[in-house]
Amino acid sequence: MTMMMRMTKKKMTCLAAGAVMMGGVITTTNAANWLMLQGTEPAGSAPRAKIWGFIQTQYQKDYSDANANNQYVPPKLIGPGLTSQSQFNVNRARIGVRGTGFPLDPNVNYFLLAEFGKNAITEAASGAVHVTDASITLNHIKGARLRLGLFKYPGAEEALQAIHVFDYINFTNVTNQLLLERFQSSISVNDVSDVPPQTLPAQQSLNGFDRPVGAFRDVGLQVFDTFGINDWEHSYAIMYGNGNGLNDGDNDDNKDLYVYLSSERVFDGQGPRREGLKMFAWHQTGQRSFDGDGDGQVEEYDRDRSGVGVKYLQKPFRFTAEYMTGEGMIFNGPDKPTFGLVPPSAGNPNHPANGLNQEASGFTVEGGWYIPGTKWEIDARYDIYHRLEGNTGAYELEFKTLTLGTQYHFNKKARLTINYEIREAEAVKFGNEPPPPPNPNINLKDVDNRASIQVTHIF
Amino acid sequence: MFLTTVNSTLPKIVAVTLTLFITVFASATFAEEKEFAEQRVVLQISDSDPFKQTLVLNVANNLIKHYGPDQVALEIVAFGPGLRLLFKENSNDKRIQSLSASGVRFSACSNTITAMTKQLGSPLVLNEHAIKVSAGVVRILELEQKGYNLVKP
Repeated sequence: MTMMMRMTKKKMTCLAAGAVMMGGVITTTNAANWLMLQGTEPAGSAPRAKIWGFIQTQYQKDYSDANANNQYVPPKLIGPGLTSQSQFNVNRARIGVRGTGFPLDPNVNYFLLAEFGKNAITEAASGAVHVTDASITLNHIKGARLRLGLFKYPGAEEALQAIHVFDYINFTNVTNQLLLERFQSSISVNDVSDVPPQTLPAQQSLNGFDRPVGAFRDVGLQVFDTFGINDWEHSYAIMYGNGNGLNDGDNDDNKDLYVYLSSERVFDGQGPRREGLKMFAWHQTGQRSFDGDGDGQVEEYDRDRSGVGVKYLQKPFRFTAEYMTGEGMIFNGPDKPTFGLVPPSAGNPNHPANGLNQEASGFTVEGGWYIPGTKWEIDARYDIYHRLEGNTGAYELEFKTLTLGTQYHFNKKARLTINYEIREAEAVKFGNEPPPPPNPNINLKDVDNRASIQVTHIF
Repeated sequence: MFLTTVNSTLPKIVAVTLTLFITVFASATFAEEKEFAEQRVVLQISDSDPFKQTLVLNVANNLIKHYGPDQVALEIVAFGPGLRLLFKENSNDKRIQSLSASGVRFSACSNTITAMTKQLGSPLVLNEHAIKVSAGVVRILELEQKGYNLVKP
């Protein structure tokens, strides 16, 4: 009898140990999409305060050549400082806390995250720590959850997804230039000027902005929810925000409106790597105040962005495709806070080289193969961005990048990412020779490849 | 004589009736006891850690898988902060439903329910598979007396 009890206890211990291991595999993250993963907590099991975060440290090397005068432009340098062609950097170091302050009530939860790394969020503020997310979600109304505060606005998959599970090191051209909003230091074209290409070491900073990038975030309120119907999950989100990114307050009375819809056939799993087939569409519209013609009066410029996409993940394969367009406030590079690409366009908002009233579009396709039985993953991505393509398109710039990558997953929370970007940039209506000024190809023709390696650890 | 007999028999009849009533009532509230089960296990959850919720459900699942649903009598007793496992909107509700279908019983401590209701300011809504017991710890002692092994994952 005693022996039997001993055996029984031994079996129990083994089963409990097995459960511990199984528990380690199963994530307790809410099984939902980005809206739900970032905005809600699992009901009835969320902690009062879960401390979490991640660190990304990297090395990047750019192989672009200088122009004929031995000068460099931003695409040939490593951000956020834009002072060299190779750099070690702790580009992200974020720590935050999330949960539900009163665990008995699953209807209220919060999310707080701060950035300690060196990137375009913190660079403008001389490396200071910057809060990236601070939100409260009220889940009282079924079908209309309410999220308030600072958080990622609903939009493109590449922007909305959690960055610590992003499968590449750098953003695509279209996401980086069309969606990652830069906020100019002044509201008048008279107060800012183009920074000319620099020899290295640069005498003048090529980063002409002293405010954080938008980081795909806004301060406002969002109504959202997800509805499960059999194996499908349908989500919506409508957000109304300042349209001023991570910056404090609002710099004008214009507000941005964001609309997002998605439908996903859920295959298996939960959390950020849930397997499924998701289709989504989004639109955002707002206005920016800027004296673009230099007459001393601030004008309002529309800033509209739209996109559609699809994401498929069922291991060992992943596939994503996104197409997006933009009208107004087309960013023309960090040395051009005037939005003018060439001198005659600065101060002339309707000039084809001025992005204030211009259009742009781009698409990206990418895929991944998780090599069965190993910890390796192979990734490939192609993206193309057409900048200033509206009107006559006389100054249209085309950026094309093929990114080849691999990832080694040390474990579920730590991985190594290696990328090699084969890059091309061209002003499509201009030839390379002879280069009459202002021919953008003087600087673009030598934009070349870039190698990067990054280690991510989530805790 | 007749009255004397009735007087001495009545308490016995009442006792038997009460016992029968309690037995019938108990079988109506809890899932049927598995009398021929090879193992009897009571799992305790009294911790606020969400990971413990996953863990206790995993242990229950592993026991069912190992012995088979008919060979293990299994009850999960939740009290204190661990009672959150049995909240109606708990994110593990599908797993609870699945385990319940395999015969796993879920007990919810009434003392904790009273205390939490007071804190919450509104009635606590529990999972439909949760059965209220007067006190979680008393329920565990009762089950141990019936030969159950207590496991605290």
